[in-house]
Amino acid sequence: MNQLNTLKILIADDHFLIRQFVTNALMELKIENVQGANDGNEAIDMIQRAKQEGAPYDVVFLDWNMPTILGIEVLSYFRAKPEYADTAFVMLTAESEQQNIMKAIKAGATSYIVKPVSAPDLGKKIFEINEWLKRKRRVSGGMFG
Amino acid sequence: MSCTPILLDDKLASDIKRAVINAIKETFNVPVEAGKVEYGQGAASLGGDMSGTIGIVQEHLDGTLMLCMGFDILSEILPHVLGKNIKITYEIAVDAVAEITNMVFGQVKTELNQRNHKVKLGVPCVVTGNNNFVSHFHRGRYMIVSFYIGEKMFQTYVTLHGDAASG
Repeated sequence: MNQLNTLKILIADDHFLIRQFVTNALMELKIENVQGANDGNEAIDMIQRAKQEGAPYDVVFLDWNMPTILGIEVLSYFRAKPEYADTAFVMLTAESEQQNIMKAIKAGATSYIVKPVSAPDLGKKIFEINEWLKRKRRVSGGMFG
Repeated sequence: MSCTPILLDDKLASDIKRAVINAIKETFNVPVEAGKVEYGQGAASLGGDMSGTIGIVQEHLDGTLMLCMGFDILSEILPHVLGKNIKITYEIAVDAVAEITNMVFGQVKTELNQRNHKVKLGVPCVVTGNNNFVSHFHRGRYMIVSFYIGEKMFQTYVTLHGDAASG
């Protein structure tokens, strides 16, 4: 059973401000195993390395617009690999239009957060994502696929 | 289906006010008050230490949205997220202005597109320099909205070039 404070989380965002903001919100929930990636390439490396080392990330926050590789491309890359099916990928973006949300969901996003977001709202999302992880790890299938 | 031209009007000013207040309040938990809205024509200059700019692109026009802030404001609000032990460097402040500009434009874009303006996303860039002036040289109209965090003021500037600029 996933306890919130045991979650291992990666925040991939090129803005230090956002990485720190999300980290603070997670710390409020006693989630301390949090790491950051500056761009899409670094995120891919870190996610793969963590898996190879037997300590995969449970949740990956992906900024939509990042240098080198977009967050949505990182998401598509991992959703094409069945071994990452029980990793929650959460898109972080300033875009709140329906077409973008649909694009993220189609690409396999577990959830979608529109910036700016308050720390309490981010906390609520984490609870929802943790429920998704529990379901996903109990049975196959999930929130969006 | 063609898009509706954007006008520099009170509706757009309200969108900007809401977006700026929301971005600062949600991210930094700091209250912001909107000040006066000023409309003008021709060249205009804004002062600040950091200016985030982003392009507004639409079928009928193109334009610019700019957010000008002083380093003193950023030094005041950034510790709310980064903590008091982190020294606020210019690099950190630039990063923050880019992201605030991005969040503001994201919200304004959503509001405009709900009214069929079909605005496209621009790429934000930040101009920096102590007490710099950012001057726009164009013949169209502009709109400046002032904001206050306590006594400290910062401004947003919007100009449009195209069909709707004279609207």
